[in-house]
Amino acid sequence: MGAGKGSGSRVVKKKNAAQSRGFYVLLVLVLVAGGVWIGAKATQGTAPAIRETDVTPGPAQGYQLGDPKAPVQVIEFADFECPACGQFSTVTEPDVRARLIQTGKVSYRFFDFPLAQHRNTYVASLAAACANDQGKFWPMHDALYLNQPEWSTEATRDPLKYFLKYAQQLGLDQTAFKQCVTEQRHLPTILGNKKEGEKVGVQSTPTFVIGKKVIAGAISYDEFRAQVDSAAAAAAAPPAPAAKKKS
Amino acid sequence: MRARQAIALLALAGAFVALYLTLYKVGVIGQLTCSVGECEVVNTSRWSLFLRMPVAAWGLATYVILLALALTGLSERWSASVEVSRAITALAAWSVCFSAYLTYIELFVLHAVCVWCATSAAIMTLILVAAVIDLRATRAAAEVARG
Repeated sequence: MGAGKGSGSRVVKKKNAAQSRGFYVLLVLVLVAGGVWIGAKATQGTAPAIRETDVTPGPAQGYQLGDPKAPVQVIEFADFECPACGQFSTVTEPDVRARLIQTGKVSYRFFDFPLAQHRNTYVASLAAACANDQGKFWPMHDALYLNQPEWSTEATRDPLKYFLKYAQQLGLDQTAFKQCVTEQRHLPTILGNKKEGEKVGVQSTPTFVIGKKVIAGAISYDEFRAQVDSAAAAAAAPPAPAAKKKS
Repeated sequence: MRARQAIALLALAGAFVALYLTLYKVGVIGQLTCSVGECEVVNTSRWSLFLRMPVAAWGLATYVILLALALTGLSERWSASVEVSRAITALAAWSVCFSAYLTYIELFVLHAVCVWCATSAAIMTLILVAAVIDLRATRAAAEVARG
């Protein structure tokens, strides 16, 4: 009986040891697979990273569209590589421009708000700022958003080659454009624009300031229009009468 | 033992998901691969931070602790420990509640779903299921041992 018990216990121990070995082999496999996967993801996008702390932000400028004296002032804080910003720019913004900006109802101002997690976004902001030097900010803005998937961090390590292509299509002086981007001439202004957003409390992109309201997210045209109408009504309302002084 | 092994494997897988999201949040990984949903909307929103730290980093810490607890519980010395089972269950239960809150924010506030966050929530739920199974087994074994 004792011998039987002993051999039974040996069998159980052997089974447990085999199961334990199998588990540790599986654990190591998951560890290796996970490490390889993370390594591949981390090295996929290695465009030149810009350290914000290395540059002193300059004064915020933004880029104007429409009549600056229009009754409703709208500010957009956006990141060129953010998909939601791209969605707003390509889906909603054409309507905003045609129905609200070109009709003189809205003055629109774009401020860069580059997010640290997008490696190519700074180069994109620089490309837009350098296109602005040649009077082509908005065409470059549109080209960047329209073609976002081809130059995003996920797609390429060299976004500049795409921006040079857009510069050529827009008829920019390519030598001046390339020099402007590579020497990061407008980086202080871009960081200044971002600082302006931080002052307003921007936490995600796109964020809009419509009149006095701060609205986050790629809102629809109808929502945008409703906010503009509400801001216009608030601006047109007569100021509240001052309290009469007691004589 | 099998439940603790499952917990260890799940926690390791979850740690990689959380590490991926953390590296994205701190700028090491440029863009999230997100074939389904809107990962960036979720991970750049204000709910992606908790006590000034990325939520993903909290998740990573939680998975690492769960992995350490599960591996400790697999050692001979702690294999019958009800305390280890309780600790794993408590941590997993809290994490599932927090994941449920974040999923609610995704669905009803942000109206955007992050597939990686959903994956992490599913992994944490499976860990909780395994933890409850483990807790029952260790309790039963402890009662048998007491006679």
